Parts: sequence; structure tokens; C-alpha cells
Amino acid sequence: MNREDDSVAWPLLTRREALIGAGLGVGTAMFHLHLEPAAAQPSAGPSVRFDDQVGVSFTTNGRELDAVVDPRTSLLDHLREAQGLFGTKKGCDHGQCGACTVHLDGERVAACLTPVVQCAGRTVETVESLERDGELHVMQQAFIDHDALQCGYCTPGQIMAAIACVREGHAGSRDEIREYMSGNLCRCGAYENIVSAIEAARSKMEA
Amino acid sequence: MANFPNIERVDARAKVTGAPIYGADRTTPLHALLAVSTVTKGRLAAIDTARARAVPGIRLVATHEDLADLTSPGFLLSGGYGFQSFAPMLSDAIVHRGQPIALLVADTLEAAAEAASLVEAAYVEVPFSSKINSTGATIIPQAQSPLPQQIFRDTIAGDAAGAFGAAATTVDVTFHNPPQHQNPIELVATVAEWDGDDLTIHEGTQNSGALKFGIARMFGIEPDRVTVISPQVGGGFGQKNSLQMQTALVAWAARRLGAPVKMVVPRSQLFGNASFRPESRHRVRLGADAEGRLTAALYDVDAQSSRHDLFPLDYTNPAARLYGIPNFQGFQRIVQTDVQTPGYMRAPFEHMATFALDTAVDEMAAALGRDPVEYRMALDTDRDPVTGLPFSSRFLNACLSRGAEMFGWTGRNPEPRSMRAADGQLVGMGVGCGCYKAATAPAAASLRLDADGRVSVAVGVHEMGQGIRTALANAVAARLGVHPSAVSAVIGDTRGVPQHTTAGSWGTATAVPAVVEAADKLLEELGPDPLAAMARRGLESYETRIERRAPGQPEEPARALHVGRPAPWGPVYGEFVGFSYIAHFAEVLVEPSTCRIRVPRIVSVVDCGQVVSPRTAESQVKGGVVWGIGAALREATEVDERYGGFLNTDIAEYVIPVNADIGRNEVAFINEPDPRISASGVKGLGEVVMTGVAAAIANATWHATGRRLRDLPIRPEHLL
Repeated sequence: MNREDDSVAWPLLTRREALIGAGLGVGTAMFHLHLEPAAAQPSAGPSVRFDDQVGVSFTTNGRELDAVVDPRTSLLDHLREAQGLFGTKKGCDHGQCGACTVHLDGERVAACLTPVVQCAGRTVETVESLERDGELHVMQQAFIDHDALQCGYCTPGQIMAAIACVREGHAGSRDEIREYMSGNLCRCGAYENIVSAIEAARSKMEA
Repeated sequence: MANFPNIERVDARAKVTGAPIYGADRTTPLHALLAVSTVTKGRLAAIDTARARAVPGIRLVATHEDLADLTSPGFLLSGGYGFQSFAPMLSDAIVHRGQPIALLVADTLEAAAEAASLVEAAYVEVPFSSKINSTGATIIPQAQSPLPQQIFRDTIAGDAAGAFGAAATTVDVTFHNPPQHQNPIELVATVAEWDGDDLTIHEGTQNSGALKFGIARMFGIEPDRVTVISPQVGGGFGQKNSLQMQTALVAWAARRLGAPVKMVVPRSQLFGNASFRPESRHRVRLGADAEGRLTAALYDVDAQSSRHDLFPLDYTNPAARLYGIPNFQGFQRIVQTDVQTPGYMRAPFEHMATFALDTAVDEMAAALGRDPVEYRMALDTDRDPVTGLPFSSRFLNACLSRGAEMFGWTGRNPEPRSMRAADGQLVGMGVGCGCYKAATAPAAASLRLDADGRVSVAVGVHEMGQGIRTALANAVAARLGVHPSAVSAVIGDTRGVPQHTTAGSWGTATAVPAVVEAADKLLEELGPDPLAAMARRGLESYETRIERRAPGQPEEPARALHVGRPAPWGPVYGEFVGFSYIAHFAEVLVEPSTCRIRVPRIVSVVDCGQVVSPRTAESQVKGGVVWGIGAALREATEVDERYGGFLNTDIAEYVIPVNADIGRNEVAFINEPDPRISASGVKGLGEVVMTGVAAAIANATWHATGRRLRDLPIRPEHLL
């Protein structure tokens, strides 16, 4: 595959596809095309290296950030390991459990499937953004009031998904909430209380 | 005893705000991952790490050739601390698929992952057995095994074979359960940091004491050198109740590199490298006399273990305590296969034991034309059929009668396939009962009261979502007359008091009486108004410390608490026998053409003794019911018979219940304190809640369809 071919698909790539590309020895070139490398690396010919650092600017929880990242880094690992925002959790790293749910330009995404370079120029909001001046978001308070959590590990992802679920208009009934919250696994089995919390928070969010 | 107030979960705010409370929630300069074996049995012939070592940012690549200075921690059930006796990377031996063969540490997670993918290994392979019916699996009757027979003997009461032979009506049925994995959402993870000769481990664990002493054994260092900190566990369910395979490897790398190292074990590796519920098969034979009274039960179990450990079986004990069956004969066999050692997964034996026994009882009731609820209630007993001792308390019939009323059991047409929903779906209604031993463990507790009214307790227990922090706060607050928010707890932390493993539903019954005793001691020493007494004496704070054993527990076994070894006691306490009980009523809907089974509604009534934290207890029941639904209808780890190990090693293909699978669960508590277990009256809740759910669903599925399905999980294809 040559450089021209590489340039086409990038914006649609998932992290998984990017990593598969890496395994096949293709892919780095596209980062050079679309993003300025922080440190220029000599072209390695057909043997492509993935350790080129790239610069990426985006906003996290209202804070603008110029980051230099390994292009393979997921938004999840970047938030946790580089930004120290540990509220976003790793439960599978495969987009299966929803524990890493954050908002990207206001929409819920799995941070583990989102390459951080894909966030360039965009806005990321994590669970840490919800509390304002010591006041919890109504969804957070509803989770407390309905005991919609046990071990708490999936909870930040549940809450970020729940807020998006209401904003999307997918919280019209208990059945609809159950359907649209089924991407967020809770092994402790707090599901019934999660639905009750979202029902209660919905009316307050819409008020 | 007055009922405890329904307070909010004390750590809920930290959990909804994403506070960094779990083991891996800290920044480290180094990240570790493992390369694992792709074969099941044999030895490493060669391992090539050259390409891994060439990855930019890689700091360490280690194999068994580097790690030989470590020692096995031993198996938790055989005098040690590990989830299995086999410690990886100490030799070239390969004993199960997925075991670690190389440790990679790098500046970044991405570099560690790249390096792990570049490790190449060649193996000498030998034949293996992966299932309990595979060629080469070794069957060992537990009664003839080297396991200590005073603990692990088969359960026998009366003459079951004789009574079965004389029975007027018999049932003879077999059941099967595949391997299953706990899959807490928090991945197993370790952060290890050395300060000179002192090691600190941050890891979500149900057993910080075992980590402390197990790591000390592996490194040959004094246990005082090891601190383990685990204030919150992101779900355990039994998988985190002992020393995991990666902890020592991470600590070893941190020492070698002189810097903190973090490892978050990928989900796929946990399927092959941590404990799981073993495959098992069960045969139940029941005999009833001419009046329909159950006179005999014979219960045979085969369950999987590894080649290197005998995972002891305890299916027959709970089965014998569910109903008053005078003649009972248990027979358990351990089947050794080539896997990592299986272990405890929520209601480890009791889920399948109660599924098998209670389903067989349901079949007997049907054979006799008796109502399933009425028939179960006729099997009640106030004495343990095995020992003849009284039960400390037993309110199973109260659970059944209250549950039947809440559920609307009288509206059930007893005829199978007789009920339909408005949309044409088959409706089934079933009942299932469960029990779980009321065990307790020794505990030390300290309690400090500060002049500002704040209370800090330290006790040996771990918070993993069950709500123990809330129960401790509620219990201490009630005793000292302070607000629960004034009470904080140092738990899951070896810097406080000795830490016992939190498992087997003994957490609350162990930790709550301990902190209450410490509070009572403080009141005894300072009088009924301790703050006033402290002010008079000019004290800024006052601290008490107590240590207690389980009821009737001798000193010697209780000492295990101080070396990180398990020391639970019960359910046979010398003068009485303690069990928690539960009755579940399930409604299922079966779509007639696709045979899709849904569970819109379950009613659960629990006899767990005193409820100390009403809100978290109710949540725990609901969670246990979700587990029962998963076990009955969804969860199976598929075995790879060609290459060994497991196939569906992620949580998209290992199917656990999602929100859309779960309907309404109405919960009630009998809430009768059991004063013989402890003054706090607690029997235990976290495990009994799962027992009986699968039976209720299977019995409801029979009522809906007329089909008895005895292999779990029950799936649409079994009904087609």
C-alpha cells in the first residue's frame, strides 16, 4: 500500500483498524499527512515505525490542551495516563463494556475506541466535568438517590451515557432507557436502579 | 433490635464523581504487560525476545530465565496464598493456555503492547484434557483425596440408598454447568512501588492480607516490608480473593527498574489466567414415601480442577440444608484437567447445588401433583438433617409465604403451557429456593473517637460494592449516637488491622460485630457520653482495639488471621448450624416461535438475619438476581477442545446480562436477627441472593413450555 492509498481512509478508522494497520506495516504515513509530527522522523521506507510522536490540540473539560502523543494512544489511555483523569475507566479496552464512555463534541463515545489524534480540534467531557462549584449534576444526584451503583467502577461511564441518553431523547420510557443503556455493562447488577435514576433525572434535566 | 435507618451509600459521592479510588487510578512512569502461552501443555522450547527488546521505549523484557529467584506462593486452599500453586515464569513448564511467558515493561502502554506482540515462542507440546469428559482427565473421589477430610468429607445423613430403594415415587435427574468467569468490570491490575526495601502494592483485591503475606513468601522478605492498599474493589465476585499471577511479576519489575510499575491485565488474559467457576455435572435422586414425604436424596457431583491443585468441592453441604430430607448421601469427585486452577465465583457451589436440588424437588412436586410452594413448605425443618443440631434461625417458609403473596402465586394455573400473555407469549411462573452458609471469621478492629465527634474505625474487610462501608457507618453511628457521615473506615489496607479475605458472605457478619464490640468497649471505658468524658479529661482523641473470634472458634485456627490465611468458621458452630435462606418467584415469557426467554419480573424474599444497611442490602439482592438470570440464561465460557483454554474471551462473546435483559425485581427482607451467630444478628447476604434464581427460572420455563431443561445456561435452541 502506498502513501496515497493511506491518506484516504484515516478519518473513518477506528483505533482497532489503525492497530491492525500497524501490524501489517502500514499506516504511519497517514498521520504525517494529516497531523504535524512533533519531532520529524526520517522516512523509514517500507518498514514503518509507530513511535512517531504527533501533536494534537483539543479541549478536555473546558481546558485547552496541546498534547504530544503516540498516534496509537486511545483517548481512554490518554485521559488516564497523560491527563491523570482517572474517572474514565478501562473495563475491556474493546468498546464492549461502556465503562470508558465520555462525551466527544457532546455525543457519547467509547474512549477506548477513539484514537486521541481523532480528537483534534474537538471537545472532550469526562465525568470530572459534571460537578460545578460543589454541586452535582442532577444525574449524579439521581444515581446516589436511587443507589444506582454498587462497586462504582462502571458508574462514571453509566452517568455519561445516561446524560447523553436523555439529551438524545432516548429516555422516554423505562423500556427505551433499558434499550439505550444496554451498551453499558454493570456486573454488580444495578440496572433496575440505573433506569429509575435516569427516569428521575430526565424530568429535572428537561425542566 | 431496632431496624437500622435507610441511609445513603456512604461512598456513593466518590463513585458518581469518578474520584480516583481504585488500584490503577494513579500515574506511574512505567507500564507492564504480559505475553502469554498459545499452547496448553508442554514446555517452552525457545523464546525469542530480540524484536521485543528493540521496541523504542522498552525498559525490560523478562522471561523464566530471569525470574527463577521467586518462589510459588502456594495455593490458597492448601496452606498458601495464590489462586493456584503454579506460579508462572519460574520455569519453562507450560501447564495451561494463556499462562504468562514474558513480562514487558516500557515507558508507555503502547510500547509495552507492541513489544508483547513481538515475543516469539516455540513449544514442545504434549496431549491435554480440557473438559471433565475429555480423555485423560483424572477423576478423584474427594473422600479419597489428600484434602483434609474433617473439612471436606462428603455430606452423609441416615441411609439414603436404603430409603431411596424403598421409595414410592422417585426422581432421577442430571444437570450440567459449563465453566463461567466472574468478569468484574474492574480489570485485575497492580501498581507496585518500592521505597528501599519496602514494597507498596495498590491492587483491587478481596484479600489484601493474602497479597501481603503471599508476596513476602514469593520474594523471601519479611511480611512487615509489604503494604497492600485496596480501599475499593471494582467488583470481585470471588476472582480477586487471593494472590493473582501478575502481582509478584509487577513488583519484581518495579524493584529491577527502581521505579513504580503499573499493569492492567487485559480482559482476554483474565479468562486464562485467573480463577473461574469450574465445569460441573450433577445427578440428583430423590425418593418420596406413599404420602409424598421426601425420605431420600442422593447427590453426586463431578467438578473440574487443575492438574496442579485440588480445588475442594462443597456442593453437598448446602444441598443437605435446603430442606428437611432425613436421609442424604453426597458424593463428590474432583476431575483434574489442564486448566488454571478454578476457584470461587459468586455462590460457588450453592448456585448449582440449589439449582440441582431445588429443580429436582420441583419435579417431584409435579410428579406428585402437589403445588410447588405448598410442597416446599411441607419440607421445612428446624433441625439440621446432617448433624441433628438446631438451626440458629430458619425462616424459609416465611420467605415462601410472603413471596407467594407478593408475587400473586394464587393466580398461577398449575398446568404447564396453560398461561398466555395478551401478545401470545407463553407465560411461566416458577419458584426456587436457595441457601448459603452463615459463616463468620475472626477480626481485629480499632475505633478512634476524636474530640470533634468524628469516628474512625479500622477492621479486616474489603469494600467491593456490597456496601460494607455503609453498614459499618450505620452500625457504629447507631452505637455511639453520631451521624453515619461522621464515621470513616480504614479497610482493605494492611496499614490498619489484620486483613482477612472478604468472601463467602462472611464480611458483614465478621466486620460489623467487631466494630460494634470496639464501640461498646469505648462506651464502657468512657461512659455513656464519651465526648463529655474526653473533654473532662482533656483528650483530643480516644482509641480502643478489640480482637474477636467466630462463635465457638478455637484460638488456633483463628490465628491464621495474622498471617493472611483464611480462617472462616461455621456453618456448624458446635451447638447450632447457621444458614441464610431465600425464596425467588420468577415470571418468564417465552416467545412461541423463536423461543426467546425473557424474565420481566422476580420477587425475592430473604432471610439473612439482621439487615444493617437496608439500601445497599436491597441493591445486593437485585444484583444477585441479575447474576442468577445471567447464570440461568446467558453465561458460558466455551472450551476449546482442539487447542485447550477458552474461546469467548471477552465480554462481548462471554454474554452477561445487559440492562435490556433485566425487568422488575421486588425485594423483601424477613429481617429477623439471628442472635446465636453474633449480637449483631447478621447471617450473610451477598451469596445467598444468587442461589435459587436459576431454579426459579428453569421451573418457570417448564411451566411455560412443559419442557424440563437441566443444562445451564438455558438458551432458545434448547427449546426449539
